[in-house]
Amino acid sequence: MALDIESIRADFPILSRILPNGKQLVYFDNAATSQKPQCVIDEMTRYYENYNSNAHRANHTLADEATTALENARESIAKFFGAKPDNLIYTSGATEAINLVSYGWAKYNLKEGDVIVLTEMEHHADIVPWQQLSKEKGIEIRYVPIDNETYTLDMDAFEVAVKDAALVCVTHTSNVLGIRNPIEQIIQMSKDSGAHILLDCAQGAPHEKIDFIGLNADFIAISAHKMAGPTGIGCLLVSSERLEEMEPFMTGGSMIKKVTTDGSTFQNGHAMFETGTPRIAEAIGWGAAVEWLSQFEMKEIHEHIHKIAAWTGNEMKKIPGIKIYGDPSNKNSSGAVSFLHEKIQSQDLAFLLDEGGFAVRTGHHCAQPLMDALGVPSTNRASFWIYNTQEEVESFISHLRDVCERFS
Amino acid sequence: MEGASWPTHLTPIIEEFKDCFDSMERYELLFEYAKKHPSPLPIDEWNEKNQVLGCQSRAHVKSSLDENGLFLLRAGADAQIVQGLMAITAITVNGMLPIEVAKLTPKYVEEMGLKSSLTPSRANGFLNMFNRVISEAEVLSER
Repeated sequence: MALDIESIRADFPILSRILPNGKQLVYFDNAATSQKPQCVIDEMTRYYENYNSNAHRANHTLADEATTALENARESIAKFFGAKPDNLIYTSGATEAINLVSYGWAKYNLKEGDVIVLTEMEHHADIVPWQQLSKEKGIEIRYVPIDNETYTLDMDAFEVAVKDAALVCVTHTSNVLGIRNPIEQIIQMSKDSGAHILLDCAQGAPHEKIDFIGLNADFIAISAHKMAGPTGIGCLLVSSERLEEMEPFMTGGSMIKKVTTDGSTFQNGHAMFETGTPRIAEAIGWGAAVEWLSQFEMKEIHEHIHKIAAWTGNEMKKIPGIKIYGDPSNKNSSGAVSFLHEKIQSQDLAFLLDEGGFAVRTGHHCAQPLMDALGVPSTNRASFWIYNTQEEVESFISHLRDVCERFS
Repeated sequence: MEGASWPTHLTPIIEEFKDCFDSMERYELLFEYAKKHPSPLPIDEWNEKNQVLGCQSRAHVKSSLDENGLFLLRAGADAQIVQGLMAITAITVNGMLPIEVAKLTPKYVEEMGLKSSLTPSRANGFLNMFNRVISEAEVLSER
């Protein structure tokens, strides 16, 4: 059954926003963060209005309700990603999740001379933690290049790089190119060569059903805010085997079992890594977001997004001076369409698009090694999600064409 | 200065922008001003010392005194919107006493109908460049 986009849009109050210049908002910055449906906003408000309390800490009614809601959300989120609740560690987002793997697992389980494989496509969040660890422990980092014509990973280079590697860290989907990597093949090749694998699914999770157990990855990092959830929360999905090997990354608060003046003991499992007061409202909001998303088939969401992204990419190619980085026509591509105009500087172009009400992203997208590989300092990026419409992209192309004619 | 906000010789430019039909026409006019910067800073003079921090686009500012001891602003940016605003700023401040430049506010940009260019979170960074000009004027006025 086709998605009822108008009904979906009605769930997002912000989409009816009129901007200060009188233009109707057209939100195409979904790869940066998605908008939130009313049910997510309501659930978070309901928590603050009715049962705001610290979870796991007290015996009173509010604390019990907060704890129950926090743990119910963990169950819903874990189920959505095909994982068990015990294998889900709440984090502030995908960035903290990757840092948790670096500082909580790799620091204790990798040694000098071990190899970590990254790709040129990675977000800085999946590069810098490894560079820091490399400096500290003498770990070798290998980067798998992209093919500058197809914008896909060079899998021959990956095959060479993964030999004798200890850990492979790869993005599920590029936040710049929209390219979905062959992660099943990457996981298999990594496992075959004895490497553990971390998937950065910050961009993949809003577009595709992530099946943690089915994928058989060791670690998966996810952010809530790109998939209808609130900012400030995400998770690390971690296999039971790797979880056993992890040490605390941060300490204090609810992760402790017993503290004496002589030392401390810690909780087991995910609780060991959830320090301080949990992000209770955010977890509840994310739980509501996955419940909201569960009414749809992720495949249908992807097909809808792909259809408008492919159309947009195709129309952009007809505008003189526009170059697209990525392949929006590829059925596996997400809704991110990166582009540049040969004469209009990217910041200027974003500004002029904003004048028409179109919110697009500009910059290096926290992927400077990829920018270097592409030979550009930045790109403009329009990224679509479930609530974007064909009418919106038609209006966008019309405005973009007008801007390009007038300002180049 | 008119209401201590901008010098009177800037008023015709402000009026020119006010006469524009809509914001897109204002930006077209701004792009035209970017091409006629009275004292541009050539790319080969762009360096870390004169780079304006906080701009995602490349932007450089170099203030000095001319042979008469009056303010001379040289600036360059790869974004045409920033370059256009800096061109208008240069038209405004060149030939003024540094102490007068130091009192300038960016209100004229708002008056031109380009208020959104002044939002601090805008990555194109005209406000950062303007603040750099003011702080350099303050230093030059102490000489």
